[in-house]
Amino acid sequence: MPNKVLCSHCHLEFDSSAMIKDGNLNFCCNGCQGVYHLLKDQGLESFYEKSKNTALAPPPQSYLDSASFDTESFRDTFVKVNSDGFNEVSLIIKGIHCSACVWLNEKALSKMDGVVEANINFTNNKATIVWADDVVKLSKIIDMIRAIGYDAFAYDAMTQEQYVNKERKEYYLKMAVAIFASMNIMWIAVAQYAGYFSGIAQDVKTILNIAEWILSTPVLFYSGWVFFRGAYYGLKANTVNMDLLVATGALLTYFYSIYITIMQRGEAYFDSVSMIITFVLIGKFLEVLSKKSASDTLDMITKNIPSEVKIVKDGVISLCKLDDVQVGDTVLISSGERVLLDGKVIKGQGSFDESSLTGESNPVYKSVGMSVVSGTTSIDADIHFMATKDFKHSTLSNIVTLLESAINKKPKIQQMANRLSEHFSSVILLLALITFLGWWFWPNSFETSFMVGISVIIIACPCALALATPVATLVGLSISASRGILFKEAAGLETMAGIDTLVLDKTGTITIGKPEVIRESIRKEFDRKLLYSLVESSKHPISNGVSKYIKAQLEDKEEIVFDEYTQVPAKGIEAKYKGMKLLGGNLKLLKKNGIDVDYSAEETAFYFVIDNELVAIYELKDKIKDGIEELMANMQKNKIEVILLSGDHKNITRSIANEVGIKSFLYEQTPQDKAEYINKLHSDGKKVVMVGDGVNDILALASADIAIAMGGGSDIAVEVGDVVLLDDSLKSLNEAFKISQTTFTLIKQNLLISLVYNAVTIPLAMAGYIIPLFAAISMSLSSLLVVGNSMRIRYKWSSR
Amino acid sequence: MDNWVIIMMLGVSIFLGAIALFAFLWAIKNGQFDDEEKFLNAAKYDGEEDLNDAVAQEQKKKDLKKNYKPE
Repeated sequence: MPNKVLCSHCHLEFDSSAMIKDGNLNFCCNGCQGVYHLLKDQGLESFYEKSKNTALAPPPQSYLDSASFDTESFRDTFVKVNSDGFNEVSLIIKGIHCSACVWLNEKALSKMDGVVEANINFTNNKATIVWADDVVKLSKIIDMIRAIGYDAFAYDAMTQEQYVNKERKEYYLKMAVAIFASMNIMWIAVAQYAGYFSGIAQDVKTILNIAEWILSTPVLFYSGWVFFRGAYYGLKANTVNMDLLVATGALLTYFYSIYITIMQRGEAYFDSVSMIITFVLIGKFLEVLSKKSASDTLDMITKNIPSEVKIVKDGVISLCKLDDVQVGDTVLISSGERVLLDGKVIKGQGSFDESSLTGESNPVYKSVGMSVVSGTTSIDADIHFMATKDFKHSTLSNIVTLLESAINKKPKIQQMANRLSEHFSSVILLLALITFLGWWFWPNSFETSFMVGISVIIIACPCALALATPVATLVGLSISASRGILFKEAAGLETMAGIDTLVLDKTGTITIGKPEVIRESIRKEFDRKLLYSLVESSKHPISNGVSKYIKAQLEDKEEIVFDEYTQVPAKGIEAKYKGMKLLGGNLKLLKKNGIDVDYSAEETAFYFVIDNELVAIYELKDKIKDGIEELMANMQKNKIEVILLSGDHKNITRSIANEVGIKSFLYEQTPQDKAEYINKLHSDGKKVVMVGDGVNDILALASADIAIAMGGGSDIAVEVGDVVLLDDSLKSLNEAFKISQTTFTLIKQNLLISLVYNAVTIPLAMAGYIIPLFAAISMSLSSLLVVGNSMRIRYKWSSR
Repeated sequence: MDNWVIIMMLGVSIFLGAIALFAFLWAIKNGQFDDEEKFLNAAKYDGEEDLNDAVAQEQKKKDLKKNYKPE
């Protein structure tokens, strides 16, 4: 029984014989040993106490040279100079497992000379480092991070992200002030209402009024500033918006109450002022919280493009800024790297993953003389290629430009509440004016008429209207989040309910994307291990399907080592074992070897040949995900047209479409074709939901009204999507539709409640029947009705 | 009951509340709630040593600022 021990640094378990002994300590590798001693020397060993037994990743053995962090091009892109004149950079720290890791990084960096500030966010692993460049270089700081077993990447702390954070912080501050003041005013108001019924001395009342006056002033002018600003910009654009109603209502009430306080008679309404501002501010904050900005997505996409490439000049390999590469330069690509420029292979060979451009998952083989396209990824190829275009004219750059314009042009359907509030605000302001004039000309004192006019505005409490949409969408968001459906933007819920066309991608969206063997035809018995070993080494999806099928039949899963093994691109595999010649692949491979086949396959077929004799045929098919029937039924019920877009061939696409029951389908679509098709649907006046998972879908996703991405899909697709289905299932897709419809109904109900409410109370206010108590109660009551109604829906869904 | 009692009690209680409010506003502005995880963990790693480190860091920043001449 081997003796297992824990590594003293990373806490991973290994066999004791494999460990490096160091006194009574055990290390799994030199890296861990190095880090342990470094921490000890630095006096940071309490890290182990803090991290408890959290398993860490052992530090990588080698890194790229950190000197690139000091280059001019790096400085231009990532380093900022802050107001004190220090340098500042934003990094993503890789390898953070626990809060002790954050502590360790911050401590280790702060201890360095010249580091002014090191701040790491535990939630997103982003770090801000401020340093004095004449004392320490950034490369030394990066070396330190690496020396303690982590790694760092620079990222552009986009101004957008900072702006959003700043805006959010601003709202926190404003809400804190508003809520504090409103709560205090409520206590004082209790005394005032008690006094209203049981009698109160005028001088006590004045004292209470003054206290409320003091408290409501910061609420109106500090917290409520957003409404004045919003009203101003609205007026500038010639629209009457909700902000204007809130601002005028609150301001008029405020001045009227000051007048009352000074004249020492009547009732002041400072409580209404602060309540309106507080409620509506909270509603606005909820909207800010659930907003996604388009530029974030763009940053994510450009962030994925490295800024430098390796070029060979006079036999020397050097890093060159992407924009500086000229036509004719020799660019070096190693396996696993992304091709960033278009060019022609001049040395080396290997296969490339072109799925981001074509949607085809099969690797494409490239050798000298063939062209490579930017945006593709080298799978196993180490090549030199000559750039035939500079970056600005490359395919990748074109796609990014297309994507940018698609995201920026993304149609925004105006929210119902906004449309409604425009009319609502104008009508109320007009009614208030009419009421005031009516009362004044119907001989009444200016004071009375003014008060009645204002009471119309107060009673037409915009709280309920302002809360109607945010509360409803919040309910929708929380229901969907609990079911693994992430709506990135609250407005998406409302938009999705008004959709009339659903466009589906095929592979990975309605099919699982992994072909499975559905038919087996054995012509002659053979050793299954031969076939298993043959297909196991290939990464092709068809081979994977066969391998999975054979694996289930085998007991002994050890692989045979072949004497010879070659993958023939787009055809199959050839191998030699103990004098036997093995072939496994498609019809083309068999034809190439002069073997006739008397078998007509209905689906994709895999043929296995031993010594020129066909021994087995496997037919594979991509399975359709569960839940498609319910989805189709729901779509039919809601009269939503379903369209299938696929990069695949006609026959396969048609067979899937027929099986599912989709009438319209398009095949052999390139990413650009897909996006154009969506745009064509738009120009026909359709509102489109696009569902996809791959890089080849992103252009189409960005063009659609609502983009739904499968959580298991590519990172960029998830980033571009407005909605992410975490479990990739069609059931979630169906639920997303249902939830959006429920939310939309809820929004309509809420708006109706607040409108009906206003329709009842406004005439009363116009007639002058509103007493202060009623005004105050009605204020909260309408909001409560809206919130209560939303909770009712939430409860109904969660008990399902 | 005299009016000044009401005035005093209102004044004192609002003043005390305002102190708490301003402390809270300062903390928000200072970025203490920016990272909720870290904010909760900070309590775990609190100690004399960490307090000393924080002071040393402040001092270092001040010194660097004095001597630092950005090119």
